Amino acid sequence: MSGNGAAGAADGSVSGVRITDLHKRYGDTLALDGLTLSARPGEVLGIAGPNGAGKSTMIKVLAGEVTADSGAILIDDVDWSPAIGASRVAIVHQEPQVFPNLTVADNLLVGRERRRFMRHGLNDDERRLMEDLAIADVADQRLESLPLAVQQRTEIARALAQDARVFLFDEPNSALTEDESDDLFRRMRRLADAGRVVILVSHRLAELVAQCDRVAIILDGRCRTELRGDGLTQDAIARELVVGRTQRAAASAVARREGGSAGASLVLSGWTHQQGEFRDIELDIRTGEIVALVGVEGSGARELVRSIAGFEKGSGRIEVAGRQGSRAVAAGTGFVAADRQESLFSNLSVGENIVSRLSGEITSFLGALRRARMAQLAAKFRDSFSVRVHNLAQPIRSLSGGNQQKVALAAAIIKRPEVLVLEEPTRGVDVASKAEIYTLMREYASDHHAIVMFCTEVPEVYEAADRAHVVSDGRLSPPLFVAQYGDVESLASDITRLERHGMVEALAMTAAPD
Amino acid sequence: MSSEADASKADRPRAFSARVRLAGSTIARVGGLLIAVIIIMTLFAAASDGRFLSFNNLLGLLRYMSTVAIVGLGLTLVIVVGEIDLSFASVYGFSAMVVAVSWILWGVPIYVAIPLGLLAAVLVGAFNGFFTTIVGIPSFIATLGSSTLVFGFTILISNTASFNPTYPPTGREIDPSQLDFFTGLSNQSLPLGFPMQALWMLGAAMIFAFLLGRSVFGFRLKAIGGNPQAARLARLPVRRYKIVAFVLCSTMAALAAILDFAFIGSTQVNAGQSLLFPVFAAVIIGGASLAGGRGTVVGTLGGALLLAVLANGLALISAGAFAQQMLLGTVTIAAVVLDRFTQKLR
Repeated sequence: MSGNGAAGAADGSVSGVRITDLHKRYGDTLALDGLTLSARPGEVLGIAGPNGAGKSTMIKVLAGEVTADSGAILIDDVDWSPAIGASRVAIVHQEPQVFPNLTVADNLLVGRERRRFMRHGLNDDERRLMEDLAIADVADQRLESLPLAVQQRTEIARALAQDARVFLFDEPNSALTEDESDDLFRRMRRLADAGRVVILVSHRLAELVAQCDRVAIILDGRCRTELRGDGLTQDAIARELVVGRTQRAAASAVARREGGSAGASLVLSGWTHQQGEFRDIELDIRTGEIVALVGVEGSGARELVRSIAGFEKGSGRIEVAGRQGSRAVAAGTGFVAADRQESLFSNLSVGENIVSRLSGEITSFLGALRRARMAQLAAKFRDSFSVRVHNLAQPIRSLSGGNQQKVALAAAIIKRPEVLVLEEPTRGVDVASKAEIYTLMREYASDHHAIVMFCTEVPEVYEAADRAHVVSDGRLSPPLFVAQYGDVESLASDITRLERHGMVEALAMTAAPD
Repeated sequence: MSSEADASKADRPRAFSARVRLAGSTIARVGGLLIAVIIIMTLFAAASDGRFLSFNNLLGLLRYMSTVAIVGLGLTLVIVVGEIDLSFASVYGFSAMVVAVSWILWGVPIYVAIPLGLLAAVLVGAFNGFFTTIVGIPSFIATLGSSTLVFGFTILISNTASFNPTYPPTGREIDPSQLDFFTGLSNQSLPLGFPMQALWMLGAAMIFAFLLGRSVFGFRLKAIGGNPQAARLARLPVRRYKIVAFVLCSTMAALAAILDFAFIGSTQVNAGQSLLFPVFAAVIIGGASLAGGRGTVVGTLGGALLLAVLANGLALISAGAFAQQMLLGTVTIAAVVLDRFTQKLR
């Protein structure tokens, strides 16, 4: 940690990046609602916020992929827009935006060739740059054959060669090893010390605290607050992220369970991912239970949840409704992906989407569709899921995000799977629809089914789940029983602690209450 | 346009209405095609002093379009499911050759030779489907490869000879009743001189219209083509359906080949090679999207009709070979451009 980064930039100075009153609306949703932020040269500004808070929209605006509806961005007190200075802002993603088929050196040069039609070598500045970033040794190798960390450093070198002023790191290390990510953060700090503006967007609270001088919390398209100095702790960030988002919906006030009913719906034993994202998972879910598996990207939680539905390969024992093996998984689970691009058919109507997973129920002789039956089923589920739609024939894209998500859920639930497997069930969904979705989930679970969901947001766990396990580094924490928490902040604290310290402290901690 | 029309019917209880929406876009597309065909026909009628509209010429048009239409029906399935098949032209020549060689050279009865020809096509379709879905190489590559491979087989079994059952090679005899049966496939004399092949086309079109528009097979085919990833996560039988689509595409090419062989009376090594572009053009003009998830039987028939009208009309007014090629290219691009445009309006 270092609070001394503000090299020559006293507060109130105009150099650096100033984002003022940025607005961006997508259809019904306000992604940015007057976002105001400033980042000074010499410091590392952290940005935290739940999914859908507007972070990625902000990044897209800075990357020039999206134009804001209103607001201003100033770099060093000069109006900036991607059209006039795209290379002033460099975005370093988890997936480097480079040319994998070219060599490292060519990557540095491409787009800035000084003479047309002629190959040329690097100049001294460029060579020094490559040495600084420890990529000079591999200058002649094609990028695709090199590790991700090298690709990222090449991306940084590319940006430096173009004299970028602002470096925005967007979850840059989710696919890096610990050593690689330490190295990346050292380089990030060095960029700041050299007087460039550095912004780090991350979900990992520990990193934000360790790497940043200041952390801005973005909620609902605005900068809610900033934490700095002694106030900058993981617990503080975790609490700020969930504050004001906790009116427990009426439905979720339904008595929480702590053990579920007698019947085990899903049993995992020695369950290990083929690519090693999770290992030796022991999990036992009963009918009537909603279990949240919480973890940041790269923790293995997403893979674990997908493997329960059979969409990631795992080895070990899996038992669904008393039957073992992949057939039982295929027959007994239904899956809804977080991304609606992966759960809905955009060329089909709302009604067709609802019944898209059915076959026998909607056909008669020779596989002929029973249109009336389809209409009837779709209408029934539209009503019980309160999907707001003029007509079931409307294209699915004409619905709001919340209604689309309800259709995606209906399409899975219509098959009545024993275990419903959900990935971030309310991502990009408005508040009212969220409450409705939680109610639907509760009703389905109460009807002798089990639900497993992958969550990244604590409020979702608090409102929807009976039990949560934190996944960190491919391991499952002991259970947290949501009913034992009176407020979301304390749940957020415990989840954060489990994410931070892994299993050692977790064991000590849960020995006490239960 | 469709959503407004739908809204007014909102509360009608049975309006499930996927039908309403799909019908809406289909009507627009087929209506547009029909208007185009009528305009072009009027122009040709004027330019040819009415010969174009003579009853015999119109019937000839139906026969002419049937080859492209029958093959196009199969290709429509493959396009709807989001894949591509470049091998049907070679399959056409191959299966006709299998029938010819096994019947005329090897002395297999025609009643067995025809199923053999169809079986050969099924195998090629299964080959395409296997490499596309299970091995996982793009169907463009898989079918480009199988196309050439199959063409090689055609040369191998025929030894580059042409075959005509009426004039078998010396030393071979063709049973006259078998010959009658075979030529009868495409040459029955029907009332009003209606072409037999057009009857086959209409029969196939009805079956495919049911498959694509009225069966769960077609429903899922559209879903898979529209979003393969969502289909996989919803546990739809993605691989099986794609394989079936490839098999049906090859089979339809074989059916068209056998009917043409029966009609023309002979087949040779490069039969069908010139079909590749017109069939694709007909399917695309008919409104199928190469991105998958969209395509109709009526559209494909309309596309085939439009091409037939163009070819026939241009021949009647002796416009020259260049005009047909140029118009074919123009119409194909124009159809897709128009489609883009109307999609945006919607």
